[in-house]
Amino acid sequence: MYRIDKQAGFIYNRFMNIKSTKTWIIIFAAVLIICTAAFLLLKHSGIQGTTAVIRVNGEVYEKIDLNAVAVAYDMEIRTEFGYNKLHIEHDGISVIDADCRDHICMSQGKVSKAGVPIVCLPHKLTVEIEGGDIDA
Amino acid sequence: MPKTRKLALMAMFTAASLIVFVIEAQIPAPIPVPGVKLGLANIVTLIAMVMLGRREAGLILLVRIAMGSMFTGGVSAFIFSIAGGALAYAVMCLTLKLFPEKLLWVVSVLGAIAHNLGQLIAAIIITKTSSLMLYAPVLLASAVVTGAFTGLAAMYLTQRLDKRVG
Repeated sequence: MYRIDKQAGFIYNRFMNIKSTKTWIIIFAAVLIICTAAFLLLKHSGIQGTTAVIRVNGEVYEKIDLNAVAVAYDMEIRTEFGYNKLHIEHDGISVIDADCRDHICMSQGKVSKAGVPIVCLPHKLTVEIEGGDIDA
Repeated sequence: MPKTRKLALMAMFTAASLIVFVIEAQIPAPIPVPGVKLGLANIVTLIAMVMLGRREAGLILLVRIAMGSMFTGGVSAFIFSIAGGALAYAVMCLTLKLFPEKLLWVVSVLGAIAHNLGQLIAAIIITKTSSLMLYAPVLLASAVVTGAFTGLAAMYLTQRLDKRVG
């Protein structure tokens, strides 16, 4: 028993000592690498979807069946929270103009697959693609 | 520390954190992910926590969030700030005494992770878009980087300030 305890203690001290700088560098480096890889995978994969759902302040503002979009068009959304202009195409939606402070929504590019949505936090606006039919 | 001295230091820290906060709001986001920012004002919260105490740091944080939202973002910014700030403050309070001084940056990283998760939860509740959860990994990764940076800054600053102010 004593030897096992001693060994366990050795493992604890060697790898698990929370007072050691090295432990935390290893833990956080692992988190960093795994999370970055996970996000890149999420961003570039995803199920094909055809229904775009636009929400403002938690309410569904508009549902668009992208299959029915033959000619690309723009849509302006003006609410009490602010103004965003969406560019709607057959293969996805992007934000092309907005009067928010940081314009992060515009730099997020085109959302074309079910997965990571576009979000404009100051205007409480989200655009996501859902897989399946418009009723789903 | 005499009462007046403490009061003066708290006022100074609050002013400093507000200045840092307002200046940081002018820096454009480095990557197009909502919620990713350096969080420089957290340096002041951490220093206050070490030098003045946890309660005092909480007060400074509260005043900074309230006034910072007035200066830069308005009501919705206030909700996100308070959600992130409160969770980060709670986590840093709990972990501050667990780590020796040279691991202050770990407290900062844990606080940054809590901050980003708090903001993400607030965003999911407000927009009712559950797929925002997919932003969790990138927010976690950015918290590790920015938290380590602000934590190291706070660590080296407290080491220097201790001799002059404390």
